[in-house]
Amino acid sequence: MNKMWRASLMILAVALVCPGARGQQEMPPSPGPPRSVRFPTPVEKSLSNGLRVIVAPRPQGVPLVTALLLIKTGAEADPPTLGGLADMTANLLTKGTKRRTAPEIAEAIEALGGSLDASARWDASTVSVNVAAARLPQALEILSDVARNPIFKEEELERQRRQTLDNLQVALRQPGALARFVAARVLFGDAPYAHPVSGTPETVQRLRRDDVVRFHQTHYRPDNAVLVIGGRIAPDAAFALAERLFGDWKRPATPLPSPAKSERSQSNRKPRVVVIDKPDAGQAAVVLVRPGIKRTDADYFRAMVANSVFGGGYSSRLNQEIRIRRGLSYGASSALDVRRDVGPFIAATQTKNETADEVAELMLKELDRLANDDLPDTELTPRKAALIGNFARNMETTDGLVTQVASLALYGLRLDEINDYIRNVQAIGAGDVQRFARERLAAKDARIVIVGDGRAFLDDLRKKFPDLEVIKEKELDLNSGALRRARALKETGP
Amino acid sequence: MRLATLSFIFLGATLAVVAAHAQDKTRAATPALTDEIPRLNYRTRTLPNGLRVVSVEDHSSPTVAIQVWYHVGSKDDPEGRSGFAHLFEHMMFKSTKNMKDEMLDRLTEDVGGFNNAFTADDVTVYYEVVPSNYLETLLWAEADRLASLNVNEENFRSERDVVKEEFRQNYVAPPYGKLNLLVEQRSFTKHPYRRPGIGNIEELNAATLEDVRRFHATYYRPDNATLIVVGDFDAKQLDAWVDKYFGRIPKPTSPLPRVTAREPERIGERRYTERAPNVPLPAVAVTYLVPPQRSDDAFALRVAETILARGESSRLYRALVYEQQIAQFAGANADLREDHGLFVFRLILASGKEVNEAEKALLSEIERMKRAPVSPAELEKAKNQIITNLLRERETNNGKALAIGEAAVLLGDPERVNTDIARLQAVTAADVQRVMQRFFTDKNRVVIHYVAESSGNVQAEGGR
Repeated sequence: MNKMWRASLMILAVALVCPGARGQQEMPPSPGPPRSVRFPTPVEKSLSNGLRVIVAPRPQGVPLVTALLLIKTGAEADPPTLGGLADMTANLLTKGTKRRTAPEIAEAIEALGGSLDASARWDASTVSVNVAAARLPQALEILSDVARNPIFKEEELERQRRQTLDNLQVALRQPGALARFVAARVLFGDAPYAHPVSGTPETVQRLRRDDVVRFHQTHYRPDNAVLVIGGRIAPDAAFALAERLFGDWKRPATPLPSPAKSERSQSNRKPRVVVIDKPDAGQAAVVLVRPGIKRTDADYFRAMVANSVFGGGYSSRLNQEIRIRRGLSYGASSALDVRRDVGPFIAATQTKNETADEVAELMLKELDRLANDDLPDTELTPRKAALIGNFARNMETTDGLVTQVASLALYGLRLDEINDYIRNVQAIGAGDVQRFARERLAAKDARIVIVGDGRAFLDDLRKKFPDLEVIKEKELDLNSGALRRARALKETGP
Repeated sequence: MRLATLSFIFLGATLAVVAAHAQDKTRAATPALTDEIPRLNYRTRTLPNGLRVVSVEDHSSPTVAIQVWYHVGSKDDPEGRSGFAHLFEHMMFKSTKNMKDEMLDRLTEDVGGFNNAFTADDVTVYYEVVPSNYLETLLWAEADRLASLNVNEENFRSERDVVKEEFRQNYVAPPYGKLNLLVEQRSFTKHPYRRPGIGNIEELNAATLEDVRRFHATYYRPDNATLIVVGDFDAKQLDAWVDKYFGRIPKPTSPLPRVTAREPERIGERRYTERAPNVPLPAVAVTYLVPPQRSDDAFALRVAETILARGESSRLYRALVYEQQIAQFAGANADLREDHGLFVFRLILASGKEVNEAEKALLSEIERMKRAPVSPAELEKAKNQIITNLLRERETNNGKALAIGEAAVLLGDPERVNTDIARLQAVTAADVQRVMQRFFTDKNRVVIHYVAESSGNVQAEGGR
């Protein structure tokens, strides 16, 4: 957190310079000289089977270690009719191997005090464990077993299917979760990145064991994987362990399939305003979504700073306007979800049904303001500091450290970028942010999704957006970019 | 909470926020793991005005965590003002004699730090993490809002609206939000724990600016506060700053009001069927009144909670979710508070299942814990899980400060942050069986069936 002190002094001066009408006001004491921070430097090595092994050691830290096996293929590779396949495959890894049953796996890892998590996300599938450093060898053996030797029993597939369907049933009744699912469809139409990672009730029903086995065979291979180990462990010990547990993992002779491309189809290029009418909604969820950037975009740091000003963090403009100034929400925020291909830029909040239209309008207005209004240094500097502080705090835990390093590895970026982060953010100026906002975050490309009780806001919303689409909750179809269920095809389930 | 990220609020996210932190506080394990837990070498002192200070010097990162624990919580909400302690917490970020609205954010977020606060049943906690060169600035700011609040009608109304949205977001919009309120309301009859800390719209609307001033004067005083500082500082320097900014705050002469009501022993099972909108799958909650946090039984209750419900090898997950597939979620939470403990079980049913059947399956697992001692392997596993969680908590200065705050304020002795490890390690299978038999009785049980209101048929919305 070096280099921040000068900036913050300036802010204090601004905040306090207005002489108090209340008379005898005291000034806060000024900060002392700052201390610098340095993050661990990752070291790496490739095994002969192509597995990339990265170690991020923290010799003085708490005796904990996180190990994460990253498969560089995730839900973007789901076939269109089989949404949820990557996630189902990952979930089933821990449900039985050649050596252990599902209960035996849970028993073994929890006896070590650890927990084993396997899931898919966009661009990757992950298996990870966080344990006391002394227990890493046993824990990593279990991780290796589940990643390499799963047997995908029919019985476990059925059990997992029921759990996934039940979870979806609950998630689909949350306005916030539902609005995000709809937003992905509105933005990506029928392309990859459009469906829920866990699938929809209809696609989850279709998953067969053969699909899962094939997905595992195709993508879970050492030359499509990265193993990241971070925390209190010496690199040599970690490399030796990796060699012992993953060294004989065979690389298939077949070439690696190339990653799926997220080509946005014609139908979803046009900005839409979509309302999912949910009469029993206790609050409305309001989401603004538009195309963002790839992780490897040259504008990455400009984008991160722009987001920090707009909606990243408590004092960002979005939360200032929606929560602090108007009391319309418990919190409003935005994020650039950076991926291998262009991911979404999403702003989201929840508000009482009556004010959904007002909040949607505020979001659009703020996006416009980001592109067109001045961004004084007195605002920019603290937003950069907030971004840097967040990054530094995430790096404090072994989980945070490993997640950060794994993300750089996934997208083929320099691992030591973590130690350039502060410098890269500091280098961004107001002009960079404005140019980025104008060219890459324009409000005219924004889509709006509202899930809520339409009676409370539809009339007002229609005045602003005469072309808005209203879809009744019961008619919503998350399986296509059209979002509307064809009546004849109405599914009744199993 | 002042701020939460927009995340899914599922069952188990109760208002007893501190329980989320406190849950993993008791500790033990096989010697191998216990040896790895570094002792927290803290220093304590008490100023003449009654402010207690606990600090740990740790230079491993250039940051410092500052927390102020006020011994006042939702149980102290004034009559007819349910939710007030929490609403008040929000007001502590507004103007004071020397600070403008949200100036705390300028002093933290704007320099790369962060701040937040939470209101639990028994305490309200304000905390920030900043680059360590800002320690003096934050001590000044914390002392300033302890000494004076200067709120006005406009920011009071606006912040009250924020709290109403917080209520809607956490308790109205998500399925099962209302169940979390009902667990409190049905579990207690006399103790103020019966009033959920978030309050309700009517009583929030009734609150006035005068209530805010009175609450500050009554409870926000140095002899009701504990300051905790963990991180990169010099001890001598810290003492001097604390003396300078906190030492000048006078100690009021008025007595501190304390909740004296106690919940009577339960004398028979009470059952409720509650209907609500937006219930995708029926749910069951079962609660037992158990001893408070400081009781010797707390350690065995923590172990029981872990064996019952932590992880996929836990008894409830294994029996109800994995084998019988009667529930899609099965949780247990030993929510041990200052005056009473509440042991809460929550089930969300699997689709097509029925509440009576699920309740029966849960009760039979509870009976099994009473009938026979847990196995040595289960006992060791539970202790390893608890201790690993403790290590995770100690990864950050803020985590360490929370552990110390809980020990100092709620357990009455900061040293318990170090000594509880051995106490937990000493828990035997017989101890677990004894607390199960003693407290998990039929007459000490409250049962809530939570079903969709649209129909008398509990499966109405459960089928696919």
